[in-house]
Amino acid sequence: MKLQLEKFGTTLISRELGSEAFRAFQPTLRELSKDEELEIDFTGILTLSPSWADEFLTPLLDQLNDKLVLLLSDNLSVHATLKILQEANKKIFKIKS
Amino acid sequence: MIDKLLIISQAAEYLGVSLNTLRRWDESGKLVAIRKEGGTHRYYREKDLEVFSSELMGFASEWIKNGAEFPATFYCATSSIFNARLTKMENGLIQKPGFEKLYSLIVLVAGEIGDNSFAHNIGKWPDTPGIFFGYNLEERKIVLADRGLGILETLSKVRPELKSHVDAVKVAFTEFVSGRAPEKRGNGLKLVREVIIEGPIDLFYTSGDAEVRMKGLDKVFRVTRGQNTVRGCLAKIEF
Repeated sequence: MKLQLEKFGTTLISRELGSEAFRAFQPTLRELSKDEELEIDFTGILTLSPSWADEFLTPLLDQLNDKLVLLLSDNLSVHATLKILQEANKKIFKIKS
Repeated sequence: MIDKLLIISQAAEYLGVSLNTLRRWDESGKLVAIRKEGGTHRYYREKDLEVFSSELMGFASEWIKNGAEFPATFYCATSSIFNARLTKMENGLIQKPGFEKLYSLIVLVAGEIGDNSFAHNIGKWPDTPGIFFGYNLEERKIVLADRGLGILETLSKVRPELKSHVDAVKVAFTEFVSGRAPEKRGNGLKLVREVIIEGPIDLFYTSGDAEVRMKGLDKVFRVTRGQNTVRGCLAKIEF
């Protein structure tokens, strides 16, 4: 399954909205079959902050582990945010180019 | 060309303040009105109002120090108003030559600092809720401020051993700790520090009497004790 993150907006900043996005995504996530990967596509994202991402990507990583795959992005904020989340959570994201 | 003159009610609308505030500012000399020969009515040059409202740091620091009124255009009462205005700033930055890629780091830094103010003060604002958020893309400057609890009071709930503003600000920028523990939070200011150190963005940040100045080339992160004690937090981002 592929998720276009921009469906939640293109400027993803606040914790509040990150947490809301995670809850809103749960019904869709239940459609993910066993062993199926969830790919996150950052295309169209203008700014991603660690606060928003910590409420959305961190719990997804906890739920899915290596079934969560992030598609490579050249956006500087996406890059910086993923780096700090990995450091804070001491867990590595699976990133696909 | 003759400068456009506004009457006091138009000037009040332009700045988003009350008529009484303008009269007070006139009497105190903060924003002096023009009077036509022999007249008593106050008039304002539009150009003067534009210059006046570009004094971002002055408005923000007077607000957090003394609760002074400032043009309403800089006030974000809620996080959603802040997010909307941040998106507007982002649109402006994207169109600025040279900022086609860098814009996202500047928005990230401003977004984290502003969102922090809301996240840590929700339900606990001592008086005025919300934040000051002003920017001038021509001057490459963003100012954010809040009249919240400040970093020391917020963090001392989870780290009671913290006694000084300097130590608290140091922890906020360097450790993964949250004032809202046991919620797992607190990575935002760490990333702000890293982005500022590596990128062409300068930061002045103050809370209580603690100050962080990261400016120019070879930036280092250091927290020092300043001359003034501010309420809440005040940040200036330059790029």
